Amino acid sequence: MGERITFAIAAAVALGSAVGVVTLKNPFRAAVSLIGTLLGVAVIFLLLAAPFVAAIQIIVYAGAIVVLFLFVIAYLGERPVQLTQDPMARYEVVGWIAVIAVGVQGFIALANSKLVGIFDDPKPVDDIGSPRAIGEAFVDPFIVSFEATSLILLVAALGAVLLAKRAVLGEGGR
Amino acid sequence: MSDATLSGAYLGWFVLALPLLGAIILALIPGEPSRTLTRVIGVGSVAAAFVLVLSLFAQQLSVDAEERAGTSTLWEWIDLGSLRVDLEILVDPLSVLMMLVITGVGSLIVLYSTEYMSHDRDYRRFFVEMDFFIFAMLVLVLAANFVFLIVGWALVGLASYLLIGYYYDRPSAVAAAKKAFVINVLGDIGLVLAAFLLVRELGTLDFAEVFAAAPAQLGQGSFVAEMVALLLFVGAAAKSAQIPLHTWLPDAMEGPTPVSALIHAATMVTAGVYLIVRTNVLFELAPHIGDLVAVTGAVTLFVAATIAMVQEDIKRVLAWSTVSQIGYMVMAAGLGLYSSGMFHFLTHAFFKAALFLAAGIVIHALADEQSLDRMGGLRKHLRVAYFATAAGCLAIAGIPPFSGFFSKDEILAGALEAGTLGQVLAVVGLIGAGLTSFYMFRLLFRAFHGTEPEGGYAHAPHPSGKAMAVPVGILAVLATVGGLLQIPFVSHNLRDWLEPAITADPGIEATHGGEILIIIASLAVAAIGIGTAWWMFGKGSERRLAYAHKLPRLRAFLLDQWRFDEVYEAAVIQPGRDLGDAGVRSAEIGVGQGPIIAAEAVTGAGARILSRVENGLVRTYAMAVIAGAAIVGILLVLAR
Amino acid sequence: MMEGVPLGYYLGLSGGLFLLGLFGVLTRRNPLLLLLAVELMLNSANVALVGFSRYWNVVDGQIFALVVMVVAAAEVVIGLGLIVAVFRQRLALDVDGLSSLKG
Repeated sequence: MGERITFAIAAAVALGSAVGVVTLKNPFRAAVSLIGTLLGVAVIFLLLAAPFVAAIQIIVYAGAIVVLFLFVIAYLGERPVQLTQDPMARYEVVGWIAVIAVGVQGFIALANSKLVGIFDDPKPVDDIGSPRAIGEAFVDPFIVSFEATSLILLVAALGAVLLAKRAVLGEGGR
Repeated sequence: MSDATLSGAYLGWFVLALPLLGAIILALIPGEPSRTLTRVIGVGSVAAAFVLVLSLFAQQLSVDAEERAGTSTLWEWIDLGSLRVDLEILVDPLSVLMMLVITGVGSLIVLYSTEYMSHDRDYRRFFVEMDFFIFAMLVLVLAANFVFLIVGWALVGLASYLLIGYYYDRPSAVAAAKKAFVINVLGDIGLVLAAFLLVRELGTLDFAEVFAAAPAQLGQGSFVAEMVALLLFVGAAAKSAQIPLHTWLPDAMEGPTPVSALIHAATMVTAGVYLIVRTNVLFELAPHIGDLVAVTGAVTLFVAATIAMVQEDIKRVLAWSTVSQIGYMVMAAGLGLYSSGMFHFLTHAFFKAALFLAAGIVIHALADEQSLDRMGGLRKHLRVAYFATAAGCLAIAGIPPFSGFFSKDEILAGALEAGTLGQVLAVVGLIGAGLTSFYMFRLLFRAFHGTEPEGGYAHAPHPSGKAMAVPVGILAVLATVGGLLQIPFVSHNLRDWLEPAITADPGIEATHGGEILIIIASLAVAAIGIGTAWWMFGKGSERRLAYAHKLPRLRAFLLDQWRFDEVYEAAVIQPGRDLGDAGVRSAEIGVGQGPIIAAEAVTGAGARILSRVENGLVRTYAMAVIAGAAIVGILLVLAR
Repeated sequence: MMEGVPLGYYLGLSGGLFLLGLFGVLTRRNPLLLLLAVELMLNSANVALVGFSRYWNVVDGQIFALVVMVVAAAEVVIGLGLIVAVFRQRLALDVDGLSSLKG
C-alpha cells in the first residue's frame, strides 16, 4: 500500500504544481511552481525503478534548467509589456475543442488498450535503472545516440552564445 | 590477366591523389598565390606522381612477368546484388606505361608552361586545370573496371573542355571547347552503351572478369561481340579524333600550346588507342570490327596527312599531323598489332610533344604569331626550337635512328603479315608516311629556313628561358633515342613488357623480308617527301608561290579540311536547329505552355488562399498541430 | 490486494501533465511561460517513457528519457537566448508580436 500512497502524493504534487505553472501570471512564481512538478515527477521515477533518471531529473531540470529560467527572468527585470488585444481570440474555441479531443482520445486509448496487465499489479523488475545499467546501455547499444546528444548540446551552447551576445558595432550588430 | 600479385599496386592511389591534391590546394589558396608557389605546387604534384610511377615501374621490373599486374580496391562502390563495382585500380605493365608517359611528359610540359604562361593574368587557373587533367587521365588508365574507366573518360573530356576554352573571352575558343565536348560525349555514349551490353551479357564490368568470361560467353565473331567492339570503338574514335569524329581536334588548337602538346598530342587523344589495346580480348572476338578499326585508322591517317600539307597555321599543321599519327596507332590496333600501336604511342608522345613545345617557343617568341607566312629564317634566332623541331621532323618522317623510324616501320611491317587487308593498309601507310615527311619538312623549312618574311617579324624573336628550353631539349633527346627500345631483328622489349596485358595478342610477327622491304620503301618515300619539301620551300617563297595556284580546287578542298564541318553543318546541325525551331513554334507554345499557364493559375490561387493561414502567430501553428493530431486520433478510434 | 502501482496510472498522470502543458502552450503569450509549459509536456512524455521501461523490464525507455532531457536543455538554452535577443531589441515580450513570418 505504501507505494500507492507515495504515488498518490507525488502525482498530486506534480499535477497541482503544473496547474500553477500554466495559470500563474508572474513568470517567477510559475517557474518556482515548475520545481514542484519536477520533484513530483522525480519521485515517480523512483517508484518506476529509475533512480538514476530521478537523480538527473533533479540535478539537470530542477537544478540547472529552472535556475537558468530564474536568471533570465531576473535579468529581464520588471514585467514585460504585452500587446493589448489577443489576435488568437477567434481561434480560441477551436483550440479548446482540440485540447478536449486529445484528452478524450487519450482516455479512450488507455481504456481500450490491448496491452496485457496494464491495470494489474506490476511484475517484479530487474536492475534496469541503476547507474551501472544505464552506463552499460549508453556505451554499448546506444553509443551513437549518446554521442549525438553531446553534439546537440554543443550546438545549443554555441547558438545561445551567438543569439544572446551583445551586438558589436560593425559586425552586423543590430 | 594474371592474379593480383603486385604488392605495390596500392601506390597507384597515391599517384592518382597527388595531381588531384595539387589542383585542389592550388584552387583553394585564398587570395592570389605568388607565382613561385603556384609553380611549386603545379609542377611539384605532377613530378612527385612521376617519381611514384617510377618506383612502381622499378618494382615491376624486379619481379617476374606474371607478377607485374596487381589491383587495389579502395572500397566497394556499387553493389546491386548480381552486379558489383568496386572503386578499384589496375596496375599492370600497360597502365604503368601510360602513367609513365602521362606523368613524365606531363611534368615536362607543366614545367614548360611555367614560362610559356608567364604573361597570362590567370596563371593559377591554368595549373589547376592542368593538374586536374593529369588526374583525370590517370583515372582513365588506372581504372580496373568499365565504370571507373567511364568516369575517367568523362573527366578527361571535361578537363579538355576547360583547357581548350582557357581563353574564354575568345568566342572561337569557346566554340572549339563546346565542339570538343559534344563530340567527346558522343564517344562517352558509345562507351556507356558498350558497358550496358557487357552487363547484360556477362553480368560484370570488372576488366579481369569480362576478359576471362568474354571468349566463352560472347563467342568468336558473334553479333553481340561485334556490337560491343563497335560501341567501344565509337568511344575510342571520338577521343582519338578518328574519322568521322575527328573535327574537334584541329579546332582544339585554340587552347594554349602546352595544352595542345599534353592533351591533344601526347595523352588524351591516345586514350582511344589505349582503350582498344586494353580491351584487346573483345576486339579479337570481333574480326569485322577489327577490320573496320584498321580501315578507319588508315583512312584517317591519309586524309589528315593531305590536309596537313596545306595548312598555314603552325599549330594546325601539328594538329592534323597528330590526327594522322593516331591513325597509324588505331590501324595497328585494328590489325592486332597492339604492342606496335603502343610503341608508336610512346614515340609519338615524345616527338609530337617536342614539336608542339618547339612551336610554342616560336609562337611565344613572335608574340602569339601562328601563321607560317609570318615566319622564316628563325633558325638563327631560336636554336633550341630549331633543333627540337628538326629532331621531331626526322623522327616523324621515320629517318633512322630517330624514334619514329622504328615504331612506324614496325606497324607497317606487321601490317604486311596481317592478310590482304593488312597489305593494302600498309601501302596506304607508306603513302601517308611520304605525305608526312613532306608536310613536316614544309613546316621546318618555312619556319626556320629561308629569310625573314616581308615586313619583318610580328615581334623581335627572343630566345626562350631555361624553363622552356630544358623540357624541349629533353623531349627532343627522347624523340631521337626513344625508338631504340625496340629494334627490328634485335630486341622486342616493349612487346615482352606488355605481354601480360595483351592476353589476346594474335602474335603477328614481321618476316625479315617484309621488314627489309618496308625499311627500304619507307626510306624512299621519306626521301621523296623531304626532297619535294626542300625543292618547294627550302629556298624561300618564290617557288612555293608559283605552285600554290596550280591546283586551286584541290587546294581549296584540302584547306577546307575535306569539308567535314560543312557536311556536318548541313546534315546534323542545321536539321537539328530546324527541328528545334519547329518544336518551339508548335509544341512549346501550343502544347507545352498551355498546361504550364493553367498549372500556374491553379497553384497561384491555392497559394493565395493557403498563405492566409500563415498568419505568423506561433500559437496558431501549435494549435494546427494539435488539431491535426486530434483528427488523426479520431479517425484511428473510428477505424477500430 | 495490490501492492504496486499499475502502468495505467502512470499513463494517466502522464496524460494529465501533457494536457496541462498543452493548455499552457495554447493560452500563454509570454514566451517565458510558454517555455515552462513546453517543459511540462516534455516531462509528461518522460513519465510515460520510464513507465513503459518498467513495464517491459528494459532500460531503453530510461535512455530515451535521458536523451529527451538533453534535448529539453538545449531547447531551453536556445529559447532563452532568443528571448534575451528579443528583449535587446526592445520589443514586447509577446509571442504574438513576433509574427513577421506572416504569409
